[in-house]
Amino acid sequence: MRNVKLAFAIFSIIFLIAGCSKSATPNTPATTENTTPSNNTTSDTKAKVLNLGKDVELASMDSAIATDGLSFEVIAATIEGLYTIDADGVPQLAIAEKVDLSDDGTKYTFTIRDAKWSNGTPVTANDFEFAWKRLVNPETASEYSFIMGVAGVKNADAIVAGEKGIEELGVKAVDEKTLVVELDRPVAFFNSLMAFPSFYPINEAFYNEKGAEYALTSDALLANGPFKMKTWEVGGTTFYLEKNPDYFAADSIKLDGLNYQVIKDTQQSILAYENGDLDYIMLSGEQIVNYQDSPEYHNIVAGYLWYLSPNQKVAGLENLNLRKALSLAYDKEAIVNDILKDGSIKADFAVPTLLATGPDGKDYRETAETYPSTNKEEALKYWEKAKADLGISSINLELLFEDTESATLVAQFIQSEVESTLPGVTFTLKSQPKKNRVELMQQGDYEVGLTRWGPDYADPMTYLDMWTTGSPNNYGAWENKEYDELVNRASKGDLASKPEERWEALKKAEGIVMDQAVIFPVYQKGNAVLIKPEVSGIEFHSVGVNIFYKSADKQ
Amino acid sequence: MGRYIFKRLALAAITILIILMVLFLMLEYMPGSPFNDEKITAAQRAVLDAKYGLDQPVFFRFIDYVKSMLTGDFGVSYVIQKNMPISTMLEARLPVTIQIGAQAILLGTLIGLILGIIAALRHNSIIDTLTTFISVIGVSFPSYVFALALSFFLGSKLHWFPILYSPAKPIVSSILPTIALSMFTIATVARFARSEMIEVLNSDYILLSESKGVTKRRLIFIHALRNALIPIITVLAPLVVTLMTGSLVIEQIFSIPGIGSLLVTAIQINDYNVILAVTFIYSIMFVGIMLLVDILYGIIDPRIRLAKGEKHG
Repeated sequence: MRNVKLAFAIFSIIFLIAGCSKSATPNTPATTENTTPSNNTTSDTKAKVLNLGKDVELASMDSAIATDGLSFEVIAATIEGLYTIDADGVPQLAIAEKVDLSDDGTKYTFTIRDAKWSNGTPVTANDFEFAWKRLVNPETASEYSFIMGVAGVKNADAIVAGEKGIEELGVKAVDEKTLVVELDRPVAFFNSLMAFPSFYPINEAFYNEKGAEYALTSDALLANGPFKMKTWEVGGTTFYLEKNPDYFAADSIKLDGLNYQVIKDTQQSILAYENGDLDYIMLSGEQIVNYQDSPEYHNIVAGYLWYLSPNQKVAGLENLNLRKALSLAYDKEAIVNDILKDGSIKADFAVPTLLATGPDGKDYRETAETYPSTNKEEALKYWEKAKADLGISSINLELLFEDTESATLVAQFIQSEVESTLPGVTFTLKSQPKKNRVELMQQGDYEVGLTRWGPDYADPMTYLDMWTTGSPNNYGAWENKEYDELVNRASKGDLASKPEERWEALKKAEGIVMDQAVIFPVYQKGNAVLIKPEVSGIEFHSVGVNIFYKSADKQ
Repeated sequence: MGRYIFKRLALAAITILIILMVLFLMLEYMPGSPFNDEKITAAQRAVLDAKYGLDQPVFFRFIDYVKSMLTGDFGVSYVIQKNMPISTMLEARLPVTIQIGAQAILLGTLIGLILGIIAALRHNSIIDTLTTFISVIGVSFPSYVFALALSFFLGSKLHWFPILYSPAKPIVSSILPTIALSMFTIATVARFARSEMIEVLNSDYILLSESKGVTKRRLIFIHALRNALIPIITVLAPLVVTLMTGSLVIEQIFSIPGIGSLLVTAIQINDYNVILAVTFIYSIMFVGIMLLVDILYGIIDPRIRLAKGEKHG
């Protein structure tokens, strides 16, 4: 009898709970059906929405403020500049329909096509002039203001340095349809730079209307490109871009929308992909092995070059033989094939592959020299010489790296390789969070550092000008007059207007970096992604904007 | 009583101010800065520091920060969402964290109580052993283990619940995180409820009531449970605090746009103002709960109030 009553008591509580949850359920389907774009796709095959998993938040939709890959990708999905980049990485006219270049290669006259912003106002030449001047205005504090000088736009460097007023920038909207850009010197890669978000137009009236709110929410954004921002919750982990019917080439866009989901936990993002919630995710570390044989697995070569930087202010590292010994001592094949396994390729160069196309129409690396890769016997010989030069029998160096999984594994491997190849050399590992690692290296407070560099534009110069005397990225404080002169001539001097000679000079400059072992290249980063088989046409690039969706489709 | 509450409030305010000050100093002496990237030159960093006032001495920045904070202005985010006012970010994110936290506390307390009571009534039975087992598991396993297991089985294998949080369906998509987060509460409450119930059930007044012929149901729910509940309420306060720390990981895993995941990201990338603001919110929650408990103690048991009053008076 007591049992029956007890059972009754328990059941009544359970019913109470069940009652609570039941009353909640009828509400949910109603809210689900209409509001989530992603949900529509699963039930309704007519809407083609790509569900993309990303591991960082959308940091900025302001083309002058954004600095990271995801922000650039989303800005480029919503706004187009004078040029865009096609599937092969070649710049094609976009918002500009016609361009005239003066004979000396320093004056561009662009004719703006009939294109509209998503609020109905036309895209004008003034939108470019306004955006460009805003980029170099010190008040904007854009981290990418330097790129205006890279593009060679007249007076850009002086304005960024605060020596001239922004009015003196070499860009002028002659009328609504005509934009004139004056350069200090011919710039070979000017067109491809124009496809980079820093050079995208901003509607001045709209910007002034929004003020400090500009680009912070979906209401404070305008689009003239393939997609426009529909929902972007403040600090939310999802955002949705829908097809922009006002885009001038809207007919060629096959997708109805892009649904972004931010997932920090990689395990969870794989579950969501397997579940069918996502069409695209990035893989990392250990997970890659499980998917390498899947047809949905893709390797994408990225522009990032990872290298070791020896600090030449540290006793011993000023010795070329020691640097050469170190640079040849570790097995790069093993690093990319056994440790990273993400499609990264070993780097025996200072300028990555698939970065830049020369005046001959070929990739830079096709015609540039090949440099010695791992060679442990040679390394040992150099080490013997170094010992004699320096009068030492052993040396201990500190290897600085950032505390990510891949960097840690690579650093540990290099340590063991170097120590076994070169008896007497010991590496002490020093792991730091990325920002601290960068700061220590910038201050020259390190011995050997594992670092990386991503290209800003499609030209070898984006790497080569790092190692000039006084460059803030020349962490190792290497100095070479011949090199400085070569780079200077090729970037701003007499070679700027002679593309073929310039190209040869760049190759020569790279040769000096490699011969002097200024850096010890390790690998060029690859990205491992999973893409559902029904998705096609996503365009990946290693420079500038990394992903374009304008040709993407989903069956 | 009024004086006692006022004193506790003043003490709480001072505690929060000290927390802020320590945080501010810690961030100041932490290596790195929000604008430390390979790409930024020293000159650009100077421009950025000037724009955000980071070039000022730490003391003045602290005074400025506290002053604007009192008006609800927490500054802007430097990295996570560049130039976004943090008050706006908190406004959007805080309710999500609170919603899931509250759900977890409710669910955890309810289930925990049921398990605990059954275990006490069926002392030394299989159910009792099972409850003890659940309690041990719930206390010893970190919540992310449950989070991963739940997503794998209930989310991915059975497709019962979505594995990612979606603002469009805040109830359904918060079920898994709520369960994962409530496991610790379930375990703790069950343990306490069980031992309290056993003690109360063996006490003289229950035996007396039983011999008086009070029905078993009435005996449990009216006489025993009420007395067993009081100590349980006292453990709930620290449990809420545990929930706050648990939410950091759970939000990260389920992609929940709350303040926990925000804090984790902010710490990784030195987004100073976000770290300060979120930690401030957490401190307020923590200090607030402790304050509430102190005051509740005072109300429930006047002896405590008197003792404390004497100490501070």
